[in-house]
Amino acid sequence: MKPAQDFLIKEEQVYSGALSCRGCGWSLLARHLASILGEDTVYVVPASCFSIITGPYPLNDLKANVVHTVFAAASATATGVRAALDRQGKQDTMVAVLAGDGGTFDIGFQALSGAAARGENILYVCNNNGAYMNTGIQSSTATPYGAVTTTNPGRGYKRTWPKDLMGIIAAHNLPYAATASLAFMEDLRAKIKKARDVHGFRFIMVDGPCPPGHKTDPGQSIEIGRLAVESRLFPLFEVEDRNYTVNYKPEKMIPVAECMKHQGRFRHLFKEGSQELLDEVQAHTDRYWQRLLEMEGVSTEI
Amino acid sequence: MKMETLDSAKSTSAGKAKYPRHREKIMKGNFAAAEGARLCRTGFVPAYPITPQTTIVERLAQMAAEGELDATYINMDSEHSVFAAAMGAAVAGERVFTATAGQGLFYAHEVLQAIAHFRLPMVVCNVGRPSIPWNIWSDQSDSLSQRDTGWIQFYGESSQEVLDTIIQAYVITEKLHLPVMVVLDAFYQSHTSENVWIPDQDLVDDFLPPFRHSPMEVDLENPKAFGGLVAPEHYNKLNYSYWKDIQRVETLSESVAKEFAEKFGRSYDNVEAVNIGPQTKLVLVTISSISSTVRGVIKQFPEVGLLKIRLFRPFPKASVRKALAGLPPEAVIACVERNFLGDREGAILQEMKRALYPTDFKLYDFYAGVGGKDVPPATIEKIIYQALHRPEEVNWVDVD
Repeated sequence: MKPAQDFLIKEEQVYSGALSCRGCGWSLLARHLASILGEDTVYVVPASCFSIITGPYPLNDLKANVVHTVFAAASATATGVRAALDRQGKQDTMVAVLAGDGGTFDIGFQALSGAAARGENILYVCNNNGAYMNTGIQSSTATPYGAVTTTNPGRGYKRTWPKDLMGIIAAHNLPYAATASLAFMEDLRAKIKKARDVHGFRFIMVDGPCPPGHKTDPGQSIEIGRLAVESRLFPLFEVEDRNYTVNYKPEKMIPVAECMKHQGRFRHLFKEGSQELLDEVQAHTDRYWQRLLEMEGVSTEI
Repeated sequence: MKMETLDSAKSTSAGKAKYPRHREKIMKGNFAAAEGARLCRTGFVPAYPITPQTTIVERLAQMAAEGELDATYINMDSEHSVFAAAMGAAVAGERVFTATAGQGLFYAHEVLQAIAHFRLPMVVCNVGRPSIPWNIWSDQSDSLSQRDTGWIQFYGESSQEVLDTIIQAYVITEKLHLPVMVVLDAFYQSHTSENVWIPDQDLVDDFLPPFRHSPMEVDLENPKAFGGLVAPEHYNKLNYSYWKDIQRVETLSESVAKEFAEKFGRSYDNVEAVNIGPQTKLVLVTISSISSTVRGVIKQFPEVGLLKIRLFRPFPKASVRKALAGLPPEAVIACVERNFLGDREGAILQEMKRALYPTDFKLYDFYAGVGGKDVPPATIEKIIYQALHRPEEVNWVDVD
């Protein structure tokens, strides 16, 4: 009997037994992604949790070719794979990078920018769980303001805002860039399909639940992901040739605290005397949301 | 390479073709390297500029743009990305070429390791220059410092040798699935014009068969994973298999060179011995273009021989021992080092000691020409005099 949660996936493109933690977003993301991209896909994976999840040598969790590569150069490796396949007449084969936020925002950033600017025909998917989780929860430039990590421990919590990678990526004149959430599966699947059918460099950033890193209950991964979107901490939007569309506008104003209070990495923000910090996160989130709405209103036809 | 090639220029001007199915051209070393890549029908060239290599990738860009070369040419964002893209194309089954130098090679270091130990075939030219303090001139510290990355390394003495070695290197790399670095000297070779015999395309095609796809590549019909984390129980097996194959290089390189000589008329060895026999009191060991200077100087010194190392990685122990078989035990061996790797001894002496151990030969080291300082015949004469009369174990020439 087909499990009820598989109703969206007609044919599984991953094997069971992936090595992810309970409540990790990677496997769910990979299942849906692979079910849409199909077998005629070459995945390029830099050092990341997913490199382990999809299988150490000699395992392969995906029913497709997987090229594991060095941390800093997923986009460059994918560029070479793409060029080779094109030369062999396999222009229809999808080349997809699956990377974490460290391999995207930080060490892989130069190669990403290069490939994006060249317009390589690659789909880049970043599972943004806001830290180097594979090495044990160290801060990246995607780590949220206020979060505690092993390199921003205790009272040394992160006091800088995460890099606006979507803004930077959008500035590369891409045909398609989008954010997506596992809690909004139809939106996520629609975006993957849209990205699949566009030629050029495409970028999707997915909010990545990580129970060990975020100090959350594995059973709450989707619920917290939904709260992140509802509280506008993780807005869902698309950028097509510099034109912004906000895909989901929450009707009710939910404070960021509603999402953050479930995450142990923000626990200190709920102690006495921390209200000011929490207000700061709320204000920043509101400003970013307002800016997104304004971007949506601006025609960028060039 | 034997000296006849240099003389061949004269015979051509007299109208006699020394090498059939070739045309003769005066060209810079970097253009000879690009010509080699073109003749080998490389299909993918990721590129990034760095002096003194730049004119190689510029020439390849021109060839690709004008249709002389059927290759995908991509301007990358760094050497790290160049080598990563080369890796991606090789794993997906293309014949790959690129070129770099100095800092570019250092920057690509981790990818060099990955390419070699993912067992991917490719040929890359490195135009040798040192690192810091900043310097762009001739020096082999860059490539020699990468000798432990798992790449096969050849050092070319002339532009002809560079071109010919690239052709041989593709045969070797595609047979063993080990990447090959062909090294030439900055400016003395890269930007200096020489007579070069360019083989006809069909001659190269006869020698180097079209690229065949291997089961170690991306296969859409039979998907697999490449390069995943390797646990200890598998890791040593992979290293063991690499270790067995790297030891096949010395004899394979010899047989490929022999077949090359039959087809192209120019012969190369892993090492070349000049004037090494019972009369020899001193052997100078060299790599790259300093070999040519030594060749000229020792014509005045009947008791001095030359051992030129062409294949440096894996260091051709058997070839070195064979070349020195007739050397009297009281003879002295002096290594000429245009490299500085931060230790007391330079790379050539380290390798020679390893190859000859245990030995009664006295081995000395002469640092000469690091950072591109000219090593004229007078410096070689100085080294000869000092090696024969009052050598220290390690000597710096022309430092004062």
